[in-house]
This record gives sequence, C-alpha cells and structure tokens, in this order.
Amino acid sequence: MATQLSADTPEMVLNYPRPDTFYDEVYGANGDTRQHWRYLLDGLGSLGADGLRERQRKAQRILRDDGATYNIATAGLGSRTWGLDPVPLLIDSEEWSRIEAGLIERAELLDLVLKDLYGPRELIRHRVLPPELIYSNQGFLRACQGVQIPGEKQLVLHAVDMVRGTDGNMVVIGDRTQAPSGAGYALENRSVMSRVLPSLFRDSQVHRLSLFFQALRRKMASLSPNGDSPRVVILTPGAYSETYFEHTYLANYLGYSLVQGGDLTVRNGYVWMKSLDGLHRVDIILRRVDDTWCDPVELRSDSHLGVPGLLEVARAGNVVIANPLGSGVLENPALLKFLPQIAEFFLGHDLALQSTQTWWLGDPDDRDYVLANLNKLIVKPTTRRSGEHSVYCADLTPEELDEVKRRICDDPIHYVAQQTNLPGSSPSWQQQELLPRATVLRSFAVADQSAYSVMPGGLTRVASSTEQAIVSNQLGATSKDTWVLASEPQRRVSFFDERQPSYREDQTSDLPSRVVENLFWLGRYSERAEAAMRLMRTVFIQLNSPAPLPEAVRDLLLKAVTQVTTTYPGFTAEDAPLDQPENELLSVILEPSRAGGITSNLQAMLNCSEETKEMLSADTHRVINDLRDELESLPQFLGSGLAAAPEEALDPLVTTLLALSGLTQESMIRGFGWRFLEMGRRLERTLQSTALLRSLLVPVLDDSDQEQVVETVLLTTEVLITYRRRYRTRPMLNHGLTLIMLDKTNPRSLHYQIDLLRQHIEQLQSRERSPVLSDEHRSVLEALTLVQLSRPDELANSDDEGVREALDERLARIQTLLCTAANAISDRYFDHRSGPQQLVQTGWSEEP
Amino acid sequence: MIYRIRHVTRYEYETPVSLCYNRAHLLPRDTNRQQCLSTQIRITPTPVYSVRREDFYSNLFYYFSIQEPHRRLEIDVTSQIRVLQPTLNFDLDIGNSCARARELMQAAVDEETLLAREFCLDSPMIRRNQAIYDYALPSFDDERPLLSAVRELTSRIYQEFKYDPGFSTVATPLNEVLEHRRGVCQDFAHLAIACLRSLGFAARYVSGYLETLPPPGQQKLVGSDASHAWFAVYSPGEGWFEFDPTNDNIPAEQHITTALGRDYGDVTPLRGVIFDGGSAQTLEVSVDVTSVAES
Repeated sequence: MATQLSADTPEMVLNYPRPDTFYDEVYGANGDTRQHWRYLLDGLGSLGADGLRERQRKAQRILRDDGATYNIATAGLGSRTWGLDPVPLLIDSEEWSRIEAGLIERAELLDLVLKDLYGPRELIRHRVLPPELIYSNQGFLRACQGVQIPGEKQLVLHAVDMVRGTDGNMVVIGDRTQAPSGAGYALENRSVMSRVLPSLFRDSQVHRLSLFFQALRRKMASLSPNGDSPRVVILTPGAYSETYFEHTYLANYLGYSLVQGGDLTVRNGYVWMKSLDGLHRVDIILRRVDDTWCDPVELRSDSHLGVPGLLEVARAGNVVIANPLGSGVLENPALLKFLPQIAEFFLGHDLALQSTQTWWLGDPDDRDYVLANLNKLIVKPTTRRSGEHSVYCADLTPEELDEVKRRICDDPIHYVAQQTNLPGSSPSWQQQELLPRATVLRSFAVADQSAYSVMPGGLTRVASSTEQAIVSNQLGATSKDTWVLASEPQRRVSFFDERQPSYREDQTSDLPSRVVENLFWLGRYSERAEAAMRLMRTVFIQLNSPAPLPEAVRDLLLKAVTQVTTTYPGFTAEDAPLDQPENELLSVILEPSRAGGITSNLQAMLNCSEETKEMLSADTHRVINDLRDELESLPQFLGSGLAAAPEEALDPLVTTLLALSGLTQESMIRGFGWRFLEMGRRLERTLQSTALLRSLLVPVLDDSDQEQVVETVLLTTEVLITYRRRYRTRPMLNHGLTLIMLDKTNPRSLHYQIDLLRQHIEQLQSRERSPVLSDEHRSVLEALTLVQLSRPDELANSDDEGVREALDERLARIQTLLCTAANAISDRYFDHRSGPQQLVQTGWSEEP
Repeated sequence: MIYRIRHVTRYEYETPVSLCYNRAHLLPRDTNRQQCLSTQIRITPTPVYSVRREDFYSNLFYYFSIQEPHRRLEIDVTSQIRVLQPTLNFDLDIGNSCARARELMQAAVDEETLLAREFCLDSPMIRRNQAIYDYALPSFDDERPLLSAVRELTSRIYQEFKYDPGFSTVATPLNEVLEHRRGVCQDFAHLAIACLRSLGFAARYVSGYLETLPPPGQQKLVGSDASHAWFAVYSPGEGWFEFDPTNDNIPAEQHITTALGRDYGDVTPLRGVIFDGGSAQTLEVSVDVTSVAES
C-alpha cells in the first residue's frame, strides 16, 4: 500500500497522508484506506513520484495537441490548456448506484417543475413557491410560455454540482439546466487518462462514458419535429466562449455541425444553416448559448449570439431546442430551499439526494437568520449575471460585510445564502506530492425515452490551493477524471448505435459558410505572413552582408518591405530613416497593431484557426500550438535588436508555416473547406509575388546593383539555386522573370499558382451548369493568359524614365484581376449581411 | 357602444430592409368591460410567415416576418369592439384601506392575489426608488381607502405634470420624468405604477385607445386619435381598477383596451429586428376611433 511504503528513496515515495479535512475520499472515519482506493494507490505507489510526473507531462501534451483549452475571460483565444490531475476521483459502484438513483429522481422532479412554471403554475397557485421567487427571476422568460418539445420530458440535459455533506453523503450545491458544460471535458479527460495510465485504467474496471453519449444521440434523434434523418447542430457563442473547445470536441464526437448564431437564419417559419451550396433546414439545436441570448426579437434585444426569430420557430414546433428556452429558471439557487416541499407536492416524498442548506433572503425569517450569521455564509445572486459573483463572507472585512448587508437588504428577493462548509477533499497531484484538495463533482443526466440516463462519474474539479474552498475554472481550478468502479469487467460498447437510421450527406452542406470563409482567410493570412517573413529574412541577410550594401539597393529593399506588407508610410515616407532602419523593421515584425505586419498577420491567422478548430486534426493543432509559442517568444528573440543573425528568429516560424501547409496537402479531406483554404493560399501567394516583383524589379538600377536586386528576388522566392543550376550565369532580369513568372515547374511561379487557382474555380463551377463564366473565373483566366503571353525580354526593357513600364503595367493588371477574383469569390460564397438592428431603440436594460 | 378602430403604422427606411421579424401587440383583447367583435390586420408587403398568438398575459399578438426587400412597411389594423358600460360605478370611499390592502397583498391565499403579486415587483422599465416612494407617500394614509388614494395620485400627476410629447421618448427613464414633471401618457402610467409598487401594491400597465370628441360644432379630423395608456391597481379580494392620469379620470366607455402587462415593454405595439434598412427610418402612426352603434 502506498501509504506504508518506507522512505528509503525519497524520490520514489508517493505518500498521501491523512488530511485534517472533515471528509476525505481516501480515508474512512477510522483512518483506514477505503477498499476501493487501494488498488489505485498501490498502482500510483509503484509508479512513484517520477513516474507520475512523467505521466502528467504526457497528459498535458496530449491535451495541448488536442487543442483542449479553457478560455479565460481576460486572456486571449486558446489561452489556457485544460488542466488534468492524473489522480482520478474514485467512487465505488455501491455508492454510485445510490447517487445515480438520486440524480434521476432529481432530474425528474426538475422536469416537472419546468413544465409547471411554463404551464399551469400550480406551484404558485398552491403556495408551494412564493410568487416573487419565480416572477422576479430573470431566468423566468415569459415569452417562453407554452413552448413544448416532443416527448415526455422537457428538461433534456441536467447537470448537478455535488460536494460531500457533513454526514459524508453527496449533497447538491447547484443545478445547471440551460446549456450544461463539462460533459465534453469529462470525455476528453477519460480519453487522456486511458492513454497515460492504460493498465491502471484497464484493471480498475471503470464504467464507460460512451453509453451516456449514445443516450444523448438517441434522444436528439427522437426529438425531430420534421421526420427522420434530422439535422442536428450545436449552437456555440463562438471562439471567445470559455468552453469553446468542448463545443468543437462534442460536435466532432457526436457528428453534428458546429454553428454560431450568424450561421443560422429563420426563413418561412423554419431554421436554416447557411452553407456554401445554399440553405439547409435545421431540425434540432443542441445549444450552448444561454437562454436570454438566443433571440433578439423576443429575448435580449442586444444579443448578437442568437438567431433572430428562433423562439417563434420553437413555439411553432418547427425546430427543437435542447434544453428548451426558458429552462434557466431552474438554475435559481433559491429553489434549493423549496425542493423538499416541491418533491412532497409532486412526488409525495422527499428527495434521496439532499441539497445544501439554502436561505432565501426574500423570506423574512431567512433574512433574519442570514443577517445574524452572515460571516458563516456564502451569498449568491439568484441569477448568474456577469460581474456578480458568489461572496464568501468569512473572508470579508467588517466594512465589506456591511456593504453586502446593504446590498441584500435593498434587494432581498434576488439573493440566497448557503452554508460555507469546506468541501471534502481528495488526493491531488501537486508537482511533487499528493495533497488534499477541495473537490466538486459535476454529474450529467440526459432524458432517455421515459427516464433519465446518468453519466457514470462526471467531471471532477479540484481547487488549486489548500486555502481555496471555491472551485472555479476561472480561478485556476484543475480537473480530474471520475472513475466509477464496476464490480465486474466492463464490456466494450460501440458508440454508434447500429439501430439508428444512419444519416449521411456529402460534407459540403454540413459546413456553415462562416467556417469556409475562415479557412479561406486562414490560407490568405498564412501566405501573407510567409511572404513578409521571407522578404524580411532576405533584407536582414543583405543588410548584414560583409560587403557594404549599395545605398540604392538598400533603399529599394526597405521600401519593398513597406510596400509588400502594406505598412505605409514606413520606409516610403519623405523622412524615412533609411540609414537607421532597425526600429521600423522591428515594428513591422513585432507590433500587433500594424496591420499587414508579421505579428498582426500571424495573429489573424491564429484567430481563423480557432474559428475552424473542429475542422483541424490533432497534428494541425500541434503545429498551430508551435506557431503560437514561436510567435510569443519572438519579442524575446529580437529583444537584443538586429545585431546578430536576426533572420534566424524568423526561421522556425517559416518552417512551421510550411509544416502547416504540408498538413493541409497531405491530410485534409478534399471538401469545400480544403478547396477554399487552397484558393486563399493561391490567391494570396500570387498577390504577394506580384507586389514583390513590382517593388523590386520595376525601378531600373545600375548594372551591378540590378544584379544584386535580382539575386535578392530569386533568394526570396526560393529559386536562387535553381537559377544558378539552370542558367550558370550571373543573375539576369529576363531569366529571373522567366523562372518566377512563367516556369510551369516552379511551384512558386505566377503561372503555377494562377493555374491552380483556375482549376479550383473550375471545380467549384462545375456544379453549376451555366456556360457563362463567373466573374472570378473570367478574371483568373485573363490573368493566366497575361502571364502566359509575357515575353521576359520585352518586360525587362526599360524606358527613359528609369522605370520598366511594360513590366509594371503587366503586373499591376494581374494584381487587379486577382483582387477582382478575390472579391467575386467572397461575394458569391460568403455572407455579407449587415447585423440585425432593433426596430425600436428603447435603451432600457433588459434585466430587472 | 360599438367602436370601430383603425390603427395604421407606417415605417419608411433609408434603404431597403431585406428581412424582418416582428411581434405586434395591436390586436385588442377581451376584458371584463369590452368584447372584441372582429379584427383584420393587413400588412404590406405580405409577410411570408404570420401567426396570431396569445402571450403570457393572455393578450393577443401578431407575429410576422417579411423576406422580400421593402422600403416601406405598413400595418393596417381594423377592429370592432363592444365596450360595456361599467356595471357598477364603483365608490372610491369604500373597500380596503391602504394598510389592509397592503397586508392582504402578502397574506391572502386566493389565486388571484397570489398571481397579482407579480405586479408588485420591479419590471424592466419600472424600477422603484426612494424619490418615487417619497412622491407617492402623501396620498396613501394607512386608514384611507386604497381607491380614493389612487384617485388622488391620479389627479396629482394630472395637475403637477405637463403633457409634453416633445420631452420624452420610449427610452426616457422614469426619474427624468419625475424630475422635470413632464411626459406623455405612457410616462404618467409608468410613474403611477412605480408609485403604487413602491408602496407594496400591485399595479399594471394598460395600452389602448381613447375616443376623442371634437370641440363643439367642429368636424372630427381623420387620424386625430392616438393610442393611449393608463394603469390598473389591484385591491385584494376586490379586483383590478383602472385610472387614467393623463386625463384625470376613471376609464369608462371611451377607453378601449388593447393589452395589459407589467409595463410598456410587455405590450410594445411593434417590436422586432430588421436587416439592412440604413440608419434612419421614419415612423408614422394614425388612429381613428369612431363609434358605430349604440349597444
């Protein structure tokens, strides 16, 4: 047993001493290790501290590669990798069956409450609930009166947060009934744990999670208002949502499309998804957007996360939303106080699973008690609102306590208080050792035919420090897998239920056009960034070359930096610091606010990748992670200025971008998404090359300077070696132009790129039968022809003004044509409707 | 008395609206003093989707959406309504005292009172505060009959506030109305409701129409009527009673109800979302109330 290992080799020992918390998961009242923990602790003991540390590192790496993040409100996108403690929480099967029965009973009761509150309101008429409790609650949405979904249960998904009560039994501290989060994280935790502790996991006989998700899929399919083969989507608030990873993960796992409000539209009384090939009817919406944000027509009018007109479609029964709009009313913590009476009223007996003791300030007796005992209590608002959190009164100064008193006395019906028992503890791996940490378990139930199915286990969260009694992800809590131990080995079940009608359609119509647009821009931004970095690298090499750079060449190169990156005025300004270029160059690389600069392009690209997260493979996530890391460390690399080989700072970024483009070529399904990403790349690379050629090759220089510039262009466009091998001569403009513009075998030539673009456009167009060419097709054909008809010798000629007029004209025309093509593609395929606006601007707040 | 009411709403947009979703509270409901005999609603351009529904407070509303581009939206509602003479001309000086009414509001267990407690609470457009309480208090001596006190409050608002359509919009906060002593019927109804709620009584908002009579010897002008608003207070065990602070009277035959709610927000004549349409729009409303027959 781990706790009895001798301390001969301190590094190896993995001890979990009995903590002095009132309840610990491992130790029984008499101090003995509970039976069901022994096998795991032995296993961890033999793994040792080093072993466990290694497994945790592995777990974090997998999570990061999976793109598992939890967005912190104050930090950027993809800001924090999801934290997983390698020590799971164990629950034996006997206790679990008691908890499970309690959870089912509770979900059934809340379902009855939901039906009653948006129906006859017997609970108010029969004085089980004070009218104020419901009528003052912002979760009670009058517009949702009478909305009904198919099937007996109105509450489809129910999540419950539980801690150990004083008697050691689980007690509920809160219900989540709108769009409960966490089931996807639980699944990800399980998948990681079964990989990093495979034998421990296998031999522990852990109940599988897949049955729960099978039930969820079955339930979703059964909700269809419009016949068989329903289209189910997951509605997410978007990449800035804290649990966005989970939305993408569940969408992929369940096989549903992930959409944002703007991807859906209401037409002819139904909900439709906007995809590239038109509108597709949506039958069921599994929502992760809170109630009030779902429809600006009838709910919060300032919401941009919802779908205008959605509620009416739900009311008409033409779409099913799970959980139904309005179900947030059940999250009011004041209901916890009344649940025993409600259970008595509906079921005739109390609930098996108790709730934590809760006082509602709207009740005069409760108010007296709370005011007299405030320093022992937590005060919570009855509706979750941004900017208002639970207050742990024990931590407050007398002045702060008075402030809380004033606030709750001013508006008592909107507050509850709860006991602040420290939650029970469980062992948590903290760098070097196993330490006791406050532990909260979130469990999940889904309506399944006439009963509820409960996920065996759930998502366990533990506080990040001993002092912390609050377990909140925003405050840095970490998570655990939850193992419900079976008494016999678990049979492996396939997740996909064969009895369900299979639903397949070609991939194109499952993608909202927003995702495709983001992939298009992902391609464009990464090419822009790459072109800028390639040029910048060449400039660094030239500036630091042993032979002094002729002034004319230097000026031309620096101006090209400004022109290619469009970071005007930069080096094209009258008084540009051409002899002291360092600051301006660093600014173009590092300054996020300089649109067109390297950091700005890379960040735009990373944002596009967040928006299309569900489309990207684990390998791609890994590359994107590298890119983010490299971008973050760029300022450090360049902190000491441009003195020593600054081009090396950009090398890893260029390599990573190439890895990314290799991945799209090698492993991305050739669907709409891939095609648009590719078109974005081809368009942008052509535009970048054209800009480079115009900047560097149109002005006429002295012969030797000219050679150096041609060499720079060849170097930047990666054909210098080919040039030398093929021509065996000094860099000459006409040969250079042949290679860069015309050569069909050079994958960076204009011809090659534009021809690929043409092929993509023709593929897309082949779906339409009209013989009339589209605008983008016409523009690209013309550009391609212009390239093909070019005679390098002629273009290399200059006029008297010191400018290569013919070359400039030709390149400018190609640029214009490609810009026309880009706009035409965007107009044809993407959604450009301006946002909705309110007919009447009332300006009053929606929240009473 | 039977009235024919024609209520036309016209929006003109700067640029075409491509898509709109609206919820209109323009169809009069039945109440214990009126019966709606018929309603026709005509919308141009023709909606692709429309439905009549009952809301949370049993008002009727019309939900519609238009998908063809339009620069002009017209909603033309014509209703025939029979208004009944109030059966008993209630006596303001009998019934619950203020203290008794307040006490029963919390203590009574009949369903009507339990459900009326919703209207004691703050609502999105009506928040109680100290200034409103202070303004209301002088009329509500504990021993005074509630209805007489409410009648006095109605008169005070009528006398102390100036009717000024230029002063307020639908977004003007109640405190500004109170401070400047100006507003329109909707503001006065909101103010009275806030006063009553701040004292612990239940009060609700009533939207509707008022038949106006031309000065003696003159012809009534077409479109000269307007939509109107007043309020109702609840006295436990006795029911709801209406008052009109804009005209200092008790709504009777000439007041025709459209809808009831916590405040204007619950019964906004037309709310909704439009796509495109530019930044400017003009709104034109015309209402005609004509009596068509003696009942």
